[in-house]
Amino acid sequence: MTTDHRRLLGVGVSPGVALGPAMIVRHDVPDVPNRACLPDEVDAEVTRLHLAVSGVVETLGQLRDRVRERAGREESHIFDAQIMMVQDADFLKSVEHLIRENRLSAETAYEFKALEVRNIWAGSGSALLRDRLADLTAIHNRMLTRLLGRPEEELWSRPTDEQVIVVARELSPGLTVQLDRDHVVGLISEEGTRTSHAAILAHSLGIPAVMGAVGALDLIRNGTTLLLDGQSGVVLIEPTRTDIERARAQLSRRQKLELELEAAVTQAAITPDGVHLTLMGNVDLPDEIMNAARHDAHGVGLLRTEFLVTGRAVLPTEDEQTDYFRRVSDAFPGYPVVVRSFDLGGDKFPAAFRAPPEANPFLGWRSIRVCLDQPEIFRPQLRAVLRAGADRQLQLMLPLVTRVEEVLQTKEMLLEEALNLARAGIRAAASLPVGVMIETPAAAIMADQLARHSAFFSVGTNDLVQYTLAVDRGNARLAERFAPHHPAVVRQLRDIMAAGARAGIGVSVCGEMASDPLSVVLLLGLGYRTLSVGPPALPLLKWVVRSIPIAVAERAARAALEAETAEAVTDALRSAVQDVFDPRLLEALSALPRPTSGTSLTG
Amino acid sequence: MIEREAKIVNQLGLHARPAAKLVRVASGFQCEIEIVKDDVAINGKSIMGVMMLAAECGSALTFRATGVDETAAVEALAALVAGGFDE
Repeated sequence: MTTDHRRLLGVGVSPGVALGPAMIVRHDVPDVPNRACLPDEVDAEVTRLHLAVSGVVETLGQLRDRVRERAGREESHIFDAQIMMVQDADFLKSVEHLIRENRLSAETAYEFKALEVRNIWAGSGSALLRDRLADLTAIHNRMLTRLLGRPEEELWSRPTDEQVIVVARELSPGLTVQLDRDHVVGLISEEGTRTSHAAILAHSLGIPAVMGAVGALDLIRNGTTLLLDGQSGVVLIEPTRTDIERARAQLSRRQKLELELEAAVTQAAITPDGVHLTLMGNVDLPDEIMNAARHDAHGVGLLRTEFLVTGRAVLPTEDEQTDYFRRVSDAFPGYPVVVRSFDLGGDKFPAAFRAPPEANPFLGWRSIRVCLDQPEIFRPQLRAVLRAGADRQLQLMLPLVTRVEEVLQTKEMLLEEALNLARAGIRAAASLPVGVMIETPAAAIMADQLARHSAFFSVGTNDLVQYTLAVDRGNARLAERFAPHHPAVVRQLRDIMAAGARAGIGVSVCGEMASDPLSVVLLLGLGYRTLSVGPPALPLLKWVVRSIPIAVAERAARAALEAETAEAVTDALRSAVQDVFDPRLLEALSALPRPTSGTSLTG
Repeated sequence: MIEREAKIVNQLGLHARPAAKLVRVASGFQCEIEIVKDDVAINGKSIMGVMMLAAECGSALTFRATGVDETAAVEALAALVAGGFDE
């Protein structure tokens, strides 16, 4: 990472160009000066304390409403507890007592009492209390900010016409639920990688983002004008007029192209030589459902369910999950929805099940492993899919499979739950298609065996590339080595398709590769006919499909399979399509905000 | 004064949501309510206090109420806890 005073270089995690004033978001607890007050000021301090409480309660109420709108009612309940904590009469009485007895300022007394509680909770050795510390910190922080008269930096309290670039040390899942594309045009964080929850969210919301921008907080102040390029990871501080003009030109080129691509949305997904494709949407969050439907997604090829869990203290109930699956399915009448079981691991964990930090989270206790080891997490999800599947086209997809037993065990549990539901007289499907997400070399190599027990395959190319090449895609130093066109990946894609075809099951791709134009050519040439991508990438995908005759794609794939290096694969694909794509268009596409190369975590 | 005991049956114990529910129900009564776990007693109308109990699944809580509606209060609270907070 190179840094000078005007330029920062991080990792581009969500492509696109953004220009706007910085808004620094800090989550540190502010320093409180030790301040006493005069005897005749005591009453005023107590009043100040209570005014701050009502202010914080109001803010939390707004936040709760907003989270309910965006992420759902269940998630918003977290803020109910925080609201009650701020208003806790016993606690406030003890603060008031301290103000009166020791003539302390409201903030000094509050800080003292909050730290006292914190020490007791932190020292208790109870996991339950440690989880509550996050809530305590949140209200402590809000109260002190208010008592010290500091501006509250809430994203949603900004006037609607001001668009900002959020700058933070780290973008927490709690902060990401507040991201709003109307107000936030860009994101910069000092920590975080492509795989961070915030990066995935930014990508799916279409907000350009740069992470790992070391030194951002030293160089950037509130209001500093920033120009960020979410593709190259470059951030310009106080850009010159030329910089801005160049960026503007890029933006308008991009917008023009977007309009053209949008026009493709209503057309059929059919190649010039008459081969029909099925294009589906990947859905992470409830507010992407309508976006996918609007872009003519023929169902959901990857419905992620982690948002139901992350950032929450409790597990989602079976009813809540059932409702969600029904809701998604109803947005795509007549088309299937593929529910991926909880892909939990690392920071994506419900607090109650959080495991100790692992040295290698990507090789650790995660995904299907967690689900099978913790039936109390998995069984309600299975029941919910069965219940919602009673009269809807739902399928279940298992992530990170490396062993046949994982599929067999899941199917056994699914059968048990179907029987339990039937016995209880609850309306539910008797069974569901269970498929495997092929995202490890183990699964790719075993594809023929897995196919016997699977209703379908879907290739998750991001993890497949990462596990095959032993390259962490979030590591900026290795960015060049994260090569989806590596021959080892290309061959696996060929073999997975062949194994699926032999077994007569459907094989699709739901990873990032399905939204990169050249990779799409490769996939079509290898025989893939069902692709699922983030909703914003659908227009581009359809445009590519409608321009590429299958015969050309097959020729390109044959050439790619001969190549020895990733670069040679890319070259082979490029030269095969140059007569079909306008090369200038392909070049301009790379400047598009959302599609093309790399982000969105699991895929 | 009246006392009633109940065991936490929620798998995740008395976490934020049930704690909030418990305090909301307790605050609806006029009587004074104490909740005792092991040898710690806290004010049942204070969420910080209830959280401090860190009551996990299987732990026993004693509700001790003093006041006009004490019987109704301990019964409502014990039922809420025994019923797993309707989660």
